Amino acid sequence: MLPVLIADRLSKRYGPRLAVDDVSFAVEAGEIIGLLGPNGSGKTTVLRLLTGYLHPSSGTAHIAGFDVVEAGLAARRYVGYVPEDVPLYSHMRVDEFLTFMGRLKGLSGRPLRDGVASVCQRLHLSQVRSTAIGNLSRGYRQRVAIAQALLNNPPLLLLDEPTNGLDPHQIIEMRDLIRALAATHTILVTSHILSEIERIAHRVAILLDGRLRGVQALGGHEAVQRLRLTVRGLPQTGVQACLHAVPEVTDVVVVGVADGECAEYLVQGHGLHVAESLVTALVAHGFGVREIRPERANLETLFLQLTRTEAPACASS
Amino acid sequence: MRILLTLLGKETRALFSSSIAYVVIAVFLLLMGYTFTAFLFLNRAATLVHIFFQAAVLFLLIVPVLTMRQFAEERKTGTLELLLTASVREINLVLAKFLACMAVNAVMLVLSLTYALVLQAYGEPDWGPIYSGYLGLALFTASLVALGLPISALTTNQIVAATVALGLFLGLWMIDALGSLLPYPFDNIVMSVSLLVHFTPFATGAIYVSDVGFFVSFILLGLFLGVRTLARR
Repeated sequence: MLPVLIADRLSKRYGPRLAVDDVSFAVEAGEIIGLLGPNGSGKTTVLRLLTGYLHPSSGTAHIAGFDVVEAGLAARRYVGYVPEDVPLYSHMRVDEFLTFMGRLKGLSGRPLRDGVASVCQRLHLSQVRSTAIGNLSRGYRQRVAIAQALLNNPPLLLLDEPTNGLDPHQIIEMRDLIRALAATHTILVTSHILSEIERIAHRVAILLDGRLRGVQALGGHEAVQRLRLTVRGLPQTGVQACLHAVPEVTDVVVVGVADGECAEYLVQGHGLHVAESLVTALVAHGFGVREIRPERANLETLFLQLTRTEAPACASS
Repeated sequence: MRILLTLLGKETRALFSSSIAYVVIAVFLLLMGYTFTAFLFLNRAATLVHIFFQAAVLFLLIVPVLTMRQFAEERKTGTLELLLTASVREINLVLAKFLACMAVNAVMLVLSLTYALVLQAYGEPDWGPIYSGYLGLALFTASLVALGLPISALTTNQIVAATVALGLFLGLWMIDALGSLLPYPFDNIVMSVSLLVHFTPFATGAIYVSDVGFFVSFILLGLFLGVRTLARR
């Protein structure tokens, strides 16, 4: 199956400044990919290139197989876009704004009415439908912006810094909302906050000074899985050998001994069923499994690793 | 077409739900009413020629106020990004804003028809110059709006948009004075872009195809520039 989104060597130049430099990545259907980078790293420019709002100086981007420049209107039908700082018409009521945006996205009549009602219900906007957008809190404004993006039910959502300016309670709500949306949409979300991306995304693309430094899987979606196990059975009793014997396992590290009879192990393996195989093997050998959980890559470490190469260059300059 | 109508509805509501349209219309009618009354009592002539010239000058000042916010505000608040990433063609956006501004101008022109009706009630005006005068004003204001829109699309600052538009409009209105100082053929070239030169026949009761063509070309050029300015990304 073709990826929903393909960015191929995208570059954007503003005069002498290269805002986006040779960025390539693909987004598969059903995943949440985070575009992470400090402020000014080019995240918003990348999203604007993907939506066709900006035209690339070189390179191409395809959404659902449509070139975002050559077939911009067709490509944009597959995208719901929420720009940074949630630009909305403050003088409009929520339902008036959503109806307006729905019409622009080609909806009319009953599908339009149903679409507005559906997104209002889904994003808990029903009680503020008649309220002027200018009178809404930042959290509600963010919801309205996402609601307009969902109106024509596009398969791909592009969210630019969706947690910006929200209080901690609203951030948690927004995080839950994005996770819920991931059940039916592919999502590309940008943020300059490491922990936000780590909590939401399946994969992260790290952008620095307009260049993509790497794309890394986080948590359960990658082919290589890291699992942390607490097993009733010490290393010398054969637990390690038992773990190594599982065909999918590639590495076992003893993290430490928890008490007299339990130890913690970090296991790396291939495939989606490695956890099941590990538990089966351990139980078959008479070891009790107290806990097993996926070990997510530490994004901060990853970010520092990927950006470390910049340090000597900066120092020398 | 449906998207154009949706945008036109939004733009018209935005203009008429703000105080801008009403203030502009009120000031226009106040000044026009004063001029009409004063001229009528002084000259006792059933003509609107002077009214048409006064209206043209007022439109030179009013249209920048109407067009300055059209794209500059959308660009500043970021809503332009929302529209252009929602499958809206640039031409629809430009046409919607053009027609919405023209709706305000149309209200002013229609309300100013009361002066013609007053002349009809108390005298025997020649309706030929009145018809041509209104046709001229409609083409003239449409040209100004069409040219004001791309200027608004070039900046996020409404004051800059209004000032540049006003300077350009006044320059194009008065440029015929410069033409009279230049040798042939430059005098003809400069005179041919003067708004005043092309508007005068309409106001005095003469309709020339060349003048209609000038204003129509001007409108099309303005709309084209508006679309190109938005498409420049």
